[in-house]
Amino acid sequence: MAELDVSGLVLRFGGLQVLDGVSFSVAPGELFALIGPNGAGKTSVLNCISGIYRPSAGSIRFDGRDLIGLKPHSIARAGLARTFQHGEMFRDMSVVDNLLAGRHARFKTNPFAEALFLPTVRRAELAHREAVERIIEFVELERYRHAPVGGLPFGIQKLAGFARALALEPKFLLLDEPSAGLNRDEREDLARFLLRVKHDLGLPMIWIEHDMQMVSDLADRLHVLDYGRTIASGGPEDVLNDPAVVSAYLGTVE
Amino acid sequence: MSKPLPSASGHFRRSYADEFRLIETRFAKAMTLVFAVFLIGFPFVASPFYVDLATQVFLASIGALALMLLTGIAGQISLGHAGLLAAGAFTAGILYKETAAPFWITIPASAVTGAVLGIVFGLPSLRLRGLYLAVSTLALHFVVVYLGGEYETRRGYSTGILVDPPVVFGFEIYSPRIWYFVLAAAAGIALLVSINLMRSRSGRAWRAIHSNETVAEALGIDMARYKLLAFVISSAMTSVAGALFAYYRGFVSIEAFSLYLTIQYVAMIIIGGMGNLLGALLGAVFVTLFPYLIEGLMSALPGADRLAGSVFAVNYAAFGFVMILFLVFEPQGLVGIWRRVRNYFLLWPFKHKALGGSS
Repeated sequence: MAELDVSGLVLRFGGLQVLDGVSFSVAPGELFALIGPNGAGKTSVLNCISGIYRPSAGSIRFDGRDLIGLKPHSIARAGLARTFQHGEMFRDMSVVDNLLAGRHARFKTNPFAEALFLPTVRRAELAHREAVERIIEFVELERYRHAPVGGLPFGIQKLAGFARALALEPKFLLLDEPSAGLNRDEREDLARFLLRVKHDLGLPMIWIEHDMQMVSDLADRLHVLDYGRTIASGGPEDVLNDPAVVSAYLGTVE
Repeated sequence: MSKPLPSASGHFRRSYADEFRLIETRFAKAMTLVFAVFLIGFPFVASPFYVDLATQVFLASIGALALMLLTGIAGQISLGHAGLLAAGAFTAGILYKETAAPFWITIPASAVTGAVLGIVFGLPSLRLRGLYLAVSTLALHFVVVYLGGEYETRRGYSTGILVDPPVVFGFEIYSPRIWYFVLAAAAGIALLVSINLMRSRSGRAWRAIHSNETVAEALGIDMARYKLLAFVISSAMTSVAGALFAYYRGFVSIEAFSLYLTIQYVAMIIIGGMGNLLGALLGAVFVTLFPYLIEGLMSALPGADRLAGSVFAVNYAAFGFVMILFLVFEPQGLVGIWRRVRNYFLLWPFKHKALGGSS
């Protein structure tokens, strides 16, 4: 049984065909890499899943539930957390506050109680603060805890974005190029975290990535897009040697 | 809101609760106590003129905090502030005149009026941003002012509605000194409510929406709900400030709620420092006292008699000039200046913070 099932996804912006019948499904616990040249439509697939774009046709089912037409916040609430290609952190907020904001949907306090900071609110704040601290520890961001995110190096910001997605306690992770802009050390850290998320938390992930070395080392399955169409799908070995994939990345000899 | 560790030697946080404690260090505790003693003692030593000034500052603080939550924190621009103050003042005035309703009914009633208007003011924010939102809230300002003016002329109060001093537990709130304490308490409550919201999830949701609406939505924050919540809370607070203003002055007239009043409140949060509650308070102090300062300066000039006629004009011009100076030279406002001065003393004899340390 597939955790996330995308079928026949079509996305058009006016005359521009961004996605043209993309179908795939991600199994529980699977690290599913979505790759393809620039402009292939990878991020658009993610934006359709998280409700930011509304696809022109096709269906997206998560846990047997249709996601199309749901607002992004309801989709996040259903357990799909995501990161962004450029980090997109709340720059003026500290790492802790970013993570607590990412955890928003797990709070049950209401504004009246918050205005008075009633004991229920205090208890909730403490419990969630503790949960957030565990995630900070998991991604090793302790020394940046209270620093405003906007002032941190880009690699740290990306890592904080990864942590912010984890803070939701998701059932599924959508990662949009988590390694872009990271240096070699940070990439190795990221690879370690991805494997730990996979093995310790058992979270299925869709992982958009350009680093083919990382993809072939870590991903369970690859799905290649080019100009909004699927050109290959399967295990790393087969896909990366597929002539269609090679020509999409490198071009063909005339 | 998790605060950075205060710069105090020998001070450590031992629990997560320490992160949102209101007053952390012993020094801060002492300073708060000194300030509280000053506030309590002030009306007993100051002349009635200064007590009135301080009372005006308290009133302005409530409105400035409300606008700071909406614009500085949640990022929703509103030019309807004077309209909301008018709505609160008129709700109290009309209820008092028509039904002789007591203080403890008129104040909650004006909060409800404000909250309802907040939803109306806020609905355009779900579709509009920035300047367009500002213009739509401006339109509502004129609707409220028009309705207030209509009431005045229809009922024959064309010069304004007289409101008698409120009676609480058989005790008439009349003397300036009592008003000083009542409004100080009201401003204190407004500040505490604002701080509480800021250190819990609503405050974080507002800051997240301010930073990036799409990302906030994708993380599970219901944008529409929190935008409307910001409008409702801010408008209710503003409206209560308007009602208190009506009682304090003993008089409600629509002329008091011009667009210039809105500009003054916007100036408070800009000059004070956007996105910071302390900024709202500093801005309220500055903008309230500024005209008196200019007046004082002008009367001290040689040939003050001949300048007397132009006090108003000079006031407006100087006000605009100061606002431009702040926007250009100190976008962080008075809070930015306060922080620099504080850091100077904290770091002395050094000049710069340690690199890489937690800020």
